[in-house]
Amino acid sequence: MLRLIILAQILITILYLGKFGLVVVFGSASMLLLMYLWVTRHSLKREHSKLEWEDMPWLYDGIARMANKAGIGMPYVYILDDYIPNAYSFGNSIVLSLGLFEVLDREQILGVAAHEIGHIKNGDTLIFPIIAYGRYFMLFLAGAISLIVHNTIAVLASLGLYMLYEIERLKFLKEREFKADETALYLLDRPFSLKEALEELKYYEDLRVNVRASALPGIEPNIERKQKKSFMDTHPSYDERIWRILAEIEGAMFRDTLK
Amino acid sequence: MEPHEFKLNEEGLRAVLPPLEAEIMEYMWKVKIATAGEVYEHMKEKHPEMRRSTVSILMNRLCERGLLKRSVETGRGGMRYVYSITTTREEFEKRIVETILNALMNNFKEATFAYLSKIKK
Repeated sequence: MLRLIILAQILITILYLGKFGLVVVFGSASMLLLMYLWVTRHSLKREHSKLEWEDMPWLYDGIARMANKAGIGMPYVYILDDYIPNAYSFGNSIVLSLGLFEVLDREQILGVAAHEIGHIKNGDTLIFPIIAYGRYFMLFLAGAISLIVHNTIAVLASLGLYMLYEIERLKFLKEREFKADETALYLLDRPFSLKEALEELKYYEDLRVNVRASALPGIEPNIERKQKKSFMDTHPSYDERIWRILAEIEGAMFRDTLK
Repeated sequence: MEPHEFKLNEEGLRAVLPPLEAEIMEYMWKVKIATAGEVYEHMKEKHPEMRRSTVSILMNRLCERGLLKRSVETGRGGMRYVYSITTTREEFEKRIVETILNALMNNFKEATFAYLSKIKK
């Protein structure tokens, strides 16, 4: 769907701007490609330390085992000097922040790593940057048409396509998060560890917001918190992911009992 | 760290720090250097319902307050954060008294001076 939207935007640009449209399309695509290459080369900073086996054998071996099960090569693992729990992946690399090691136990950290391996296995680490730069590409073309073309239909169609791209992009990214979770459940020896990790991370985030918002006279660990929901979120909420994981695990258990 | 609040109805460190942060500082002044995991194990004895996240957040809040500092330690078991005290308990208490007395002298100079003289006698 996203590809069709981009294609339609390119067609409108060429249709209404002719040869100049081609220049705009290739010019902006080349510019974004250069930007992407520059960003990927500079994505690792001083705060990232490459994980070697002797640093944390349990983590290295765990990731190697899951990568093998996923049918991908051993990813590069980086530890990020950041006290806030966080994890992400790019290319064939996984980044885990030091904050994760403070709030999660080993199995839960492997659960988080499994989700990131899921992204690599599903090709998301290649697709996500394209989607992200596609957003700028769409915006650039819509801007060019709005400024140069004096045709209301063309301008409205172009802006409409840009908005459609945004909606589809958010939907697509959320689906990929669920898919990475599904892959992680298959990779993990103990699938519940991902659910537990998400519960702890949800608790951490809620608590951190509350601590910042209040003078903190006391913390109620069992307090029920409402999660903020925004239609612009690229990630599903922790609750949505936890429910899906539970459904997946219970579904798998049920299928096993039928065998 | 300059205390900005003094709760008259609280005892000890709780007068200037939230209760759990005060408890963490009591422990940190005793051990001087510890990981969040070690503090968590200590806190769990008194608060069995406490979670690792709570301790991590509170310790980082104490870093923001300037009472603790965080550094990365690489050793057996990989990289991890260790927290250490930035000031002794005595220094901290001294600073609280100085801050409060300065505030009183700025706002109620004569009354404060008169009362201090009375205590001195």
